[in-house]
Amino acid sequence: MNSAGLSLEQAPPFSVPLRFFLTAPWFLVLAALLLLWQGPEIFASRWLPVTLALAHLFTLGFMAQVMLGALLQMLPVVVGVVVPHPQLTAALIHIPLTLGALALTVAFLSGVPAWFQVAWWLLGLGFGVALIAIHLALWRAPVVSGTVIALRCALGALLITVGLGLSLGGYFGWGWSLPVVAMTQLHAAWGLAGWTLLLVAGVAYQVVPMFQITPSYPQWFGRGFAPLMAALLAAWSVLMLGDWETAARLTSTALAAGIALFALTTLHLLAQRRRKIGDPTLGYWRASMASLLASALLWLATLWIPALGPASPAEWLLGILPILGFAVAVINGMLYKIVPFLAWFHLQAQLFRRAKVPNMKQLLPEARIRRQRWAYLTALLLLLAAAVYPAVFTYPAALALGVTGAWLGINLLSVLRIYRRALHEGLASVAWKKSCG
Amino acid sequence: MDASEIVVDGRGLAPPEPMERVLAALDELQPGRRVRFLIHRQPYPLYDILRRYHYRYETTAVADDHFEVLIWPP
Repeated sequence: MNSAGLSLEQAPPFSVPLRFFLTAPWFLVLAALLLLWQGPEIFASRWLPVTLALAHLFTLGFMAQVMLGALLQMLPVVVGVVVPHPQLTAALIHIPLTLGALALTVAFLSGVPAWFQVAWWLLGLGFGVALIAIHLALWRAPVVSGTVIALRCALGALLITVGLGLSLGGYFGWGWSLPVVAMTQLHAAWGLAGWTLLLVAGVAYQVVPMFQITPSYPQWFGRGFAPLMAALLAAWSVLMLGDWETAARLTSTALAAGIALFALTTLHLLAQRRRKIGDPTLGYWRASMASLLASALLWLATLWIPALGPASPAEWLLGILPILGFAVAVINGMLYKIVPFLAWFHLQAQLFRRAKVPNMKQLLPEARIRRQRWAYLTALLLLLAAAVYPAVFTYPAALALGVTGAWLGINLLSVLRIYRRALHEGLASVAWKKSCG
Repeated sequence: MDASEIVVDGRGLAPPEPMERVLAALDELQPGRRVRFLIHRQPYPLYDILRRYHYRYETTAVADDHFEVLIWPP
């Protein structure tokens, strides 16, 4: 961790991030239901509307939901700046984002332009508020650390991703005239290799050394990685739009190498951790970074081996590995650190020395984390298998995905239940002691 | 180190175990005694709780990854 440190005195109320964290897992369940409903045919093409609906249940419903909620929590604590009116800001992001993700799913499934228009306004509002609130906070950051640099790059990438997404929404909703295929590729690249990867990197600089007791990321890496990746993405975008094919391919190669470097650096740090007792979230970090490394290598292969081009399973694997492999794993693992910790900390702050506070392992027993992790790994492997043999593996993959999403949701709800009970009992015992004298 | 002191070593433990241990020690701290807390990074969240409950504390950076926090009861 860098010298900016963590200060929970500035932290927003527990309900601010919690609403995002408790909603997100149920979008994995919705994705599983969609997969069950559509069956193996969903793997016919990545351009099917139902495939786009599935992708957005993951990226908007699960990933963006948790990432924005975590940013609202982290900014005051890690960066040292306060997001104004946290309750109102959180509501103005959470409600439109949730409804917008649902509306976009209906829009893709029905093909009705009015639903695209509804989704457009809702997502425009949710992301608009998030971008303004978070940008204002980040540019006022008192200490410019590696994390702040990475978060700024991630936010810039989110701005581009949302801009491209809204433009594509305009194409479906109002018939705007656009180069749809090129813009979709840009939208996906900025969303995954920009916003998601750089945010995870910025957070990893803090939490990997802190929770896994590893050495810090090298300073040159912390300060240089995110700006370099953002610059490469920008160059690639221009080259791709200008049809400079060879230069675009070389830039893609550099991007894939950068992604692989981050995954390898993190795996190397995890291998050097000083704490030898297994941490239940370590498995999520390893699965996430292994998936990221596999994504980068597969992307390199598709760039240089023509047989792995469009319409091959590689195209699907390049969606599943970064989304369900890299992003969902790391987010799932982080939720198990953040939610019990916030519950425990808010209880300590209110009840310390006055009533007994359950410890982290009582708030969320490690066995529950480990069991859900097996369900998650099963879902990931089955979905990867389904991309290659859809007829055999689609239904088992959908079931496993539904189980892992619901299990995560239930585990997080159980933390809230224990938190509420402990707070209620603690405050009642304090009141009773006071009344006795 | 002396008899009036409780030593809590949180070095090499993942958060929030060091804070759990030091808060448990503070909960049982008798007047006239103090806690010496050894930790591998600055324990910022702990300071919030110490200030909130009016403990006095003093931090010494022994090395980059070794801090000692002396804590006295309110």
